[in-house]
Amino acid sequence: MLVAILLGYTCAALAGIAWAGDALIVNEAFTPDRLGAAANLSITASFASSADVPPSPISRLTLYGPAGLGIQARYAGTCTEVVLEQRGPAGCPADSRVGFGGGVAVLALPGQLVREPFTLDFFFAPPEHGRLRLLAYASGSSPVGVGLVVVAREIRAPKPYGLGFSVQVPQVSTIPGAAYASVESAFATLGASDVAYFKRVHGRRTLVHVKGLIVPGRCPAGGFPTRGVVEFADGTTFIVNPTIPCPRG
Amino acid sequence: MSARLTPCAWLTTRARLGAALLAVPASVVLACATPARSAPTSGSQVPATIAASFHPDKLGAMGALTVTIDLAGDALGDPPLLRRSVLRLPAGLGVEIPHLRSCEPHRLQLLGARGCPAQSRLGVGRALVQAQLGSQLLGESISLWVFLGPLRNLQPTFEMLAQGYTPFDERVVLSGTVLPDNPPYGEDLVLSVPAISTLPLEPGASIASMSLTIGASRRSGRESNTTIEPTHCPSGGFPFAAELTYADGSMQDVSTATPCPR
Repeated sequence: MLVAILLGYTCAALAGIAWAGDALIVNEAFTPDRLGAAANLSITASFASSADVPPSPISRLTLYGPAGLGIQARYAGTCTEVVLEQRGPAGCPADSRVGFGGGVAVLALPGQLVREPFTLDFFFAPPEHGRLRLLAYASGSSPVGVGLVVVAREIRAPKPYGLGFSVQVPQVSTIPGAAYASVESAFATLGASDVAYFKRVHGRRTLVHVKGLIVPGRCPAGGFPTRGVVEFADGTTFIVNPTIPCPRG
Repeated sequence: MSARLTPCAWLTTRARLGAALLAVPASVVLACATPARSAPTSGSQVPATIAASFHPDKLGAMGALTVTIDLAGDALGDPPLLRRSVLRLPAGLGVEIPHLRSCEPHRLQLLGARGCPAQSRLGVGRALVQAQLGSQLLGESISLWVFLGPLRNLQPTFEMLAQGYTPFDERVVLSGTVLPDNPPYGEDLVLSVPAISTLPLEPGASIASMSLTIGASRRSGRESNTTIEPTHCPSGGFPFAAELTYADGSMQDVSTATPCPR
């Protein structure tokens, strides 16, 4: 979900979205694909461009998931922005991990475009005013070393949506005078059906399972509705309303 | 397995079974009391090591054999993706199984180690599995149990239960076979290692190290299976070797010689 937020948007199966002559290809799936199950949500997204021009940097992303989509964070730990900025993902508790990902960034250096692979690490952060917060740590090393922490905050979602998240994306500078970095493609894999940690429960060391992401118990006709709002640094806004197909069987 | 052999019956099969048992763990790792570590014996980009030891270390003695294999990482620290291992055991190595019981793999998968008779348990061990997820190389400690499997085409087999708990509560059952080898080896333990998936879109996990102990140095009532150290030790020590095949098709041979008892 965060990747979707970071990149632009995620849709159910496969979607090609026209975008100023280019396209945003998004693929998303639940594993296992079963109603009511603790599951993994995997997302891939990439800009397809006919010209060698990078997409404009993203400044804000808002994503609404379908009603009934749950995040069960019981027994999960949390990490903070400070720890993540100072010590990186290794400084966060193992039980605060939400997921992983990566992608390719585009750096518009003078006279050339340079593509840089990056990784993503997602963590639970302490709730704020009773609302969930997620942290994403984007890291790249070559040719430009980058470590970036962004916060996704839970927001109210209008019907027929349920869970919503919004994230402000800071602009990443590369070298003086060069354009801000943009994202060409990204992927994320969030949650899992078999995550477990040892915890002290009533004084005993017990293996507890973290459900994490939970697929809605019912799927409306036409699939799970989702919505994404992508705001770019050049002032343009892009809205998509894809659906996630209902599980078969 | 429903068949039960008397303490004499195992004599006819102990060499094979013993080898099979040893081979299973060995396919992943070999370790020993007086470890004799070795360097790769063939051209490979990934240096692995193998070690084996007997406890007690006495010719003809019943006890335990520990085999450990370390699969060192590549230049980036990522362990290679192991897909098959053949563990070569020294000639004369045996396994005593007083009460011949076997374990069905589907019971292991369904119920875990408690799903199979204690008499069918050949050994236990540990493994470290690693995967590069996001920016981090994450590891999971795996508990191993080795059981005597059902005969296949009159060949002894073994079943290895691999159980990880955290961060992923996963259970995998691997099946292996025992095949005859040529001197100075007695039998080979052949184990196919399936791809270890982690999360969608993320790379699979690989085995970084593995250690398995077959038999027990002290007998208990229900878990009485032991290894039998060969009665003769060749000059240079007991030979152990492993042939490792990786997902990229490359192969690596490692070998070691465990010193003869003093």
